[in-house]
Amino acid sequence: MKLNINLTQYRKSEILAAITIGFVAIIVLNLFYIQIVRHDYYKQQAYDEQVAKFILPAKRGEIYARDGTDVIPLVLNEPVYIAYADPQQVKDKEELIDTMNSIAGGNMIKDYKTGLDNKKLRYVVLARGLKYDQAELLKKKNIPGIGLTASDRRVYPEGSLAAQLLGYVNDEGKGQYGAEEALNERLKGVNGKLQAVTDVRRIPLTVSERDISIPAQDGDNLVLSVDRNIQSYAEKALKQGLDKVKATKGSVVIMDPNTGRIMAMANYPTYDPAKYNEVEDYGIFQNGIVSDPYEAGSVIKTLSMGAGLDSGAVNVNTTFNNRGYVQVDDRKISNVEEDPINANATMTDVLHYSLNTGVVYILQQMGGGKVNLQARNKFYDYFHNHYRFGEKTGVEQAGESKGIIIPPTDEQGNNVRYANMAFGQGMDVTMMQVAAAFSSTINGGTFYKPTIITGTTNDGDKVKAQAPKIVKKNVLKANTSKDLRDMIVKGRQLGALGGKDRPGFVVGGKTGTSQIIDPKTGEYTDANSIGSYLGFGGNQTPQYVIMVQVKDSKAAGYAGTTAAGPIFGDISNWLIDYLKITPN
Amino acid sequence: MSDRNNNTFISRRENAWRRNQNTTKFEHSTKLGPVSHTVLVAMMVAVLGLIYLTQVTKTSSYGYAIETLNTRKDELGAKKSELQVESARLKSLQKIQSSEVAANLTQPASTDYIR
Repeated sequence: MKLNINLTQYRKSEILAAITIGFVAIIVLNLFYIQIVRHDYYKQQAYDEQVAKFILPAKRGEIYARDGTDVIPLVLNEPVYIAYADPQQVKDKEELIDTMNSIAGGNMIKDYKTGLDNKKLRYVVLARGLKYDQAELLKKKNIPGIGLTASDRRVYPEGSLAAQLLGYVNDEGKGQYGAEEALNERLKGVNGKLQAVTDVRRIPLTVSERDISIPAQDGDNLVLSVDRNIQSYAEKALKQGLDKVKATKGSVVIMDPNTGRIMAMANYPTYDPAKYNEVEDYGIFQNGIVSDPYEAGSVIKTLSMGAGLDSGAVNVNTTFNNRGYVQVDDRKISNVEEDPINANATMTDVLHYSLNTGVVYILQQMGGGKVNLQARNKFYDYFHNHYRFGEKTGVEQAGESKGIIIPPTDEQGNNVRYANMAFGQGMDVTMMQVAAAFSSTINGGTFYKPTIITGTTNDGDKVKAQAPKIVKKNVLKANTSKDLRDMIVKGRQLGALGGKDRPGFVVGGKTGTSQIIDPKTGEYTDANSIGSYLGFGGNQTPQYVIMVQVKDSKAAGYAGTTAAGPIFGDISNWLIDYLKITPN
Repeated sequence: MSDRNNNTFISRRENAWRRNQNTTKFEHSTKLGPVSHTVLVAMMVAVLGLIYLTQVTKTSSYGYAIETLNTRKDELGAKKSELQVESARLKSLQKIQSSEVAANLTQPASTDYIR
């Protein structure tokens, strides 16, 4: 079939109209195909090109402390800026350098000029830590090739106060050590998200139904139970005490025995968290109070006495024949040489003279007269299940250790070990564990979870309080707790340290000097010891518990008495005034 | 009847549709052709398009307003944070302890308690 069209029969205008209509039809059909048939496809393509996703960074929670009844900031956020250059966009290098030096000055990076000369680079950091005003000045100069990146920096208005307790935040915004690491999840918050169509300058436009806007949830602003005045005094007293005995390391923890709230945690040596990157010895970052278990020594006798009284193995009137030593299996356990030998030594003498034989006697009584499996089981029950040794306390600090306490069923949990454990050797405990357990023995028998948090705040003013958490009741019976308290007070009063206490107040405590195993011989040695002091103070009701630890004391005598004891006394007397405790 | 149909004015009363009454219908003498209709429709489409564009532009301008406010909010937030930090530093223990007021404080000789 042949199509026979004779164009001459049409006018030119008709032909032109037909061609135009044909073109228009093609265009219309194509538009129909693009806009109707492929509508979804092209819409998605356009959206993908126009849409941008933004992260809305959450503000890290701030950390506050107490100042009496007031709340003061310990850790705040400060906006800082990084100034950078794109060498390919820089037009006048000299102008850039002059401007940067005049505005950023001390914030300039050392080798930034080398980077500026390298045209292959697109991002050269010029200055860090610029403040808002500096950043604004730089913006106004509008120098080609310079950009600014904003971020937040942690600021410590109180300097190095409570450094190990706080920890720091690294360059990636992650909490390291102390509360910053332990409470990182609560502090960091949750970033928000913004997904929106933007213009060419990447400014979000509210034109799409598919825009997503999820606001950021800022981290919690935490209010610590730590009081800055107590913390500051504890740090000062610790430093002075260490200097007096030429010791190199020490720690102090102060807590409220009636709530478990920590009032202060001081460590020496310390560091400035704002300059954490200048610290060479990473061990300084650790809060040794929770992370370094050790053989606490004779301060543990207070807890052994509590177990003895509560189990009925002994009572306040019990006496025993103190021969200066006691045989346990193949080992002879002795008191220190200067301790008196007394056929009718009392339980108060055990604490006053720190008689090893006395606490071994208590252990023997738990076993019906000798150290055996029954005695070990009872002792372990108190120390593990009541005092919670061998378990983490749960205090909000990173790197907490649970210590080591050998069960009586273990091959190493023999009679000799348990006899040693009764006076604080042969088991590893942290200061936090000891202070928390001791608090429960003198507060009437309630074990509170140690905590550094007293609540949260929105504005640094009103505090939403967090209730103390009871872990265990009846750690000791109430009357046992009172008897033990009286014995500890008497034990201190009879010693030289008690003479310096403020009259009219109830202050009790116990020294401890732990021998350390010499790595060469594998035997305990007096050459290098750790001095500890564990005590409380207040009136009818104990108001504070203080534990002091001093390492490497060079003073003559037992470090517990000569190094740690005076620090306890200093802080205790000051606390009585600061807490406005009324005398009995 | 035919006279009434040629009238140019019909009263409202008379114009009303009522039962058993005659009705009248007004008719223009001029009529719109297909070109006029097309032009009118095109104009209506154009007006609607303009209204649509106005609305879309207005919505987009909210984006700029929000961006401006957000920038302002960030600036004020940054300034507030800096002032808070400065305030905290001025109230820090180190500052207080090194102040003239603290230097003039004295230790109490003794403490009495009122029961």
